[in-house]
Amino acid sequence: MATTTPLMQLLQGYLKVTSDRQQTIASNMANVDTPGYHTKDVNFQTAMQQVVEEGNNARLAPASTEVQGLPERPDGNNVNIDRESLLLGETQLQYQMAVQLIKSEFHRLLTAIKEGS
Amino acid sequence: MGLFDMMGISASALSAERQRAEVTSANLANAETTHTDSGGPYVRKEVVFSASNMSPFSTVLNRLGRFGHAPAGSVQLTQVVEDTTPPVMRYEPGNPDADKNGMVAYPAINPVTEMVDLMGAVRSYQLNASAVTAAKQMIQQSIDILKSS
Repeated sequence: MATTTPLMQLLQGYLKVTSDRQQTIASNMANVDTPGYHTKDVNFQTAMQQVVEEGNNARLAPASTEVQGLPERPDGNNVNIDRESLLLGETQLQYQMAVQLIKSEFHRLLTAIKEGS
Repeated sequence: MGLFDMMGISASALSAERQRAEVTSANLANAETTHTDSGGPYVRKEVVFSASNMSPFSTVLNRLGRFGHAPAGSVQLTQVVEDTTPPVMRYEPGNPDADKNGMVAYPAINPVTEMVDLMGAVRSYQLNASAVTAAKQMIQQSIDILKSS
């Protein structure tokens, strides 16, 4: 009998996508003073689809794309600190939500086991 | 591991910004230095940052070869370049570094520019330190899955 439910597998993929996105945001923040650097982001839809299709086969690096439409500074860098700080907080909350859902899913499973005895 | 890579990226930025602050401090400290080992006044220095954009394959190879290598997407201080602005000449005939006309070459350093650069480095450091905190909290939350609810 499988102890991982379909929901849990989906949440596992969600955790991977959010941590990949968080890594991309951290990379943008790290390069805030690098001349010519362009802001990158993870496309949620593509990344989630990829994770669901590939299952547990871990990818080597997050599939990131360059963000269009951000104003460039004179040195060719277009990292916006406000945008990155906001996304950092947002992604952290998304991650926390997935963790809470996984915990409640395990709890549900545990309840089913305990009711049997 | 995504979250630990995230910490590595932020750590590379912390290190780069700290080195930038060090170079700026050296410029401030030597704003009046007229005598160096290589002769002549102190020359103002500037840092050059670059993003490490390695392909995923070489990233994996690097990780196999060297442990603790900075992950793709991190920032590196590639070189420290010297400012080519000519030195400022001041008339000080009593100074031992004065030339035959009594002029002394002082480094062309503007303390205001250096202070602004220092503040920029400190703010960027804070930004990346907050990213490290976020990564730590996320790792802690993952560990909390194991706790019995």
